[in-house]
Amino acid sequence: MERVECIVVGGGLAGLSAAYGLAEAGVEVMVLERGDYSGAKNVTGGRLYLKPIRDIYPELWDEAPFERPVARELVTMMAEGAHTTVEIASDRFTAGAPQSYTVLRARLDQWLAEKVMEKGAMVVPNMKVDELLREDGRVIGIRAGEDEIGADVVVVAEGVLRLLSSAAGLATQPKARHHALGYKEVIELPPGVIEDRWHLNPGEGAAQLFMGECTKGMMGGAFLYTNRESISLGIVVGMEDMRRRRDGTESWQLLDEFKELPQIRPLVAGGTVAEYSAHAIPEGGISQVPRLAGDGYLVAGDAAGFCLNALVTVRGMDFAVAAGHLAAEAIKRAKAAGDFSAAGLASYEGSLRSSFVLRDLETARTIPSFMENPRLFTHYPRAVARLLESVYTVDERPQDGLVKKAWKSVRRDFLNVATVKDAWSARRI
Amino acid sequence: MDIVVCVKTNPDLEMVRVKDRVAQTEGVPYKIGDLEKNALEAAVALREAGAAAKVTALCLAEGNRKAAEDIKTALAMGADEAVVVDDPALADPDEAAVAAALAAAVKKIGACDLLLFGEGSSDNYTGQVGARVAELLGLPQIGYARKVEAADGAVRCERSMDDMIETVEAPLPAAVTVVSEINEPRIPGLMQIMKAKSKPLQVWSLADLGLEAPAPVREIVSNLAKEQDRKHIVFEGTAAEQADAFVDALTREGVLGR
Repeated sequence: MERVECIVVGGGLAGLSAAYGLAEAGVEVMVLERGDYSGAKNVTGGRLYLKPIRDIYPELWDEAPFERPVARELVTMMAEGAHTTVEIASDRFTAGAPQSYTVLRARLDQWLAEKVMEKGAMVVPNMKVDELLREDGRVIGIRAGEDEIGADVVVVAEGVLRLLSSAAGLATQPKARHHALGYKEVIELPPGVIEDRWHLNPGEGAAQLFMGECTKGMMGGAFLYTNRESISLGIVVGMEDMRRRRDGTESWQLLDEFKELPQIRPLVAGGTVAEYSAHAIPEGGISQVPRLAGDGYLVAGDAAGFCLNALVTVRGMDFAVAAGHLAAEAIKRAKAAGDFSAAGLASYEGSLRSSFVLRDLETARTIPSFMENPRLFTHYPRAVARLLESVYTVDERPQDGLVKKAWKSVRRDFLNVATVKDAWSARRI
Repeated sequence: MDIVVCVKTNPDLEMVRVKDRVAQTEGVPYKIGDLEKNALEAAVALREAGAAAKVTALCLAEGNRKAAEDIKTALAMGADEAVVVDDPALADPDEAAVAAALAAAVKKIGACDLLLFGEGSSDNYTGQVGARVAELLGLPQIGYARKVEAADGAVRCERSMDDMIETVEAPLPAAVTVVSEINEPRIPGLMQIMKAKSKPLQVWSLADLGLEAPAPVREIVSNLAKEQDRKHIVFEGTAAEQADAFVDALTREGVLGR
């Protein structure tokens, strides 16, 4: 059997980050990517929080093909026929080194793949890995088609569906209730139009999240990120909620209907849809993180469940880069010790636990179960939109005072047994 | 017998989008043209059948800055060696310049009994280069080959013509341009891709070939199809009224009733 020191399954951010660190250290590494190129299969929204990972491979990021630094954060709570948008803007989001950027993964991942190849790693696109080869419980390589290739260690960065690791018994099969389904369109608009519509300085970007009516009460929401010459517009809905729905709604219809809403239509007007895609998203949080290292293998990225939806911040790419880097560090240590067993690779999990990756996932441990509360996606966005609607309403009837108007709404929508219970369960988030 | 296969890489046409009537090629990866893959497969099959000793893939970069990377696909498909001619002066060459560079490179490679081409490239499909190179090298040329056999110092080809199949024989050395019917090109497996990494690959400049930068002999004014003006006539009324009005309009235009 042909051999290399390290095989990375999956050429996304986690796999490429691991390969970059390994190739830099002179480890013989081969990345196998199923798509036509790195990023081809990716559907990320998306926004990369660069701040947590800027010091990992610091030489890389200055020339990375990011789209726009995010200067404006918008959250829109939607009721039927009414909505309220809150804007959060801060000089500190963009001053000096911006904390986050919008990205198009087809561009970003291809660029990173080239950087990885410049470091001497082999990146093979169009290569579907069919099996993780095991011997006495130890992962000894991979099979792709008829070819079997051996490796001292395999980095499993195969993505959310965990097809290989669950088939090899390294992880449980993913369950619908721990996942959401995302649909996304990339809609081309001229940069000037984007900057006008989202009130942006030239080159700066906006991120907008939508909650409530857009998912018809199901767990999820919609997102909008401004790229350089396009916007990424998408909708995310919990698989279990979608599966339970019996009214014939198809998940893909949600995005079409969302685009047709009177408050969304002017945002996309005149745009050309350049891409349409869909993908599964891990939403299970830390409880769904599989065993991260075993004899001859490590797991990183979406395959490891490193994804965190904290309602207003959605993260995964920064975790992927950090985990890939820590995997490379662990493999370098294992190589120095000549021990690629679970014990030799155990430092990977330890370093993840002391990094933001598992710390932030641990902090957010209760969020996935909290998000199973349907009122989060129905009652609250509606209540907020209704509250402000009532405050801003003027008609022929004698008007209540401002405080009285608001109080009526608050008493009706926010002070009852259910909401008090929700507040209690939210205290640990 | 040694075979040289001339291989062109072109932007992956499936990934080229058209915006405002202009092809958007930025960021689009290059790949080996379809018919060139047929030519490669034919060469490797001849070697595997024992009719050839060595297969060399010869590629002109033509502005593809990753040509030396992309040509590894030819090595993975079974070519033994690869040569890339990469020179800034050949970023967007015309067919004469391409043929001159390829002919010079074939001479420099030396041993070449059979020279294979795709009938035309996947992007422009001018279908000129094979015949031009054959002429420059003084070789007999067989076009539209759907079958290639080589034995006893000769190449025998079936040519795919409109209403017949022609069988032609030529003494070696000779040039053959192939069509897609000839074979189904293999998709290299991981092992082949890994082995391709260590196969010999040389990059030559025009100076290495003793050539000067070609003087451009063509100027592309536009390669767009002529835009057709539409009449933008909307017929209203019942179906019968619309049909009548439509037929009247066609008659007035001289399309009907001539």
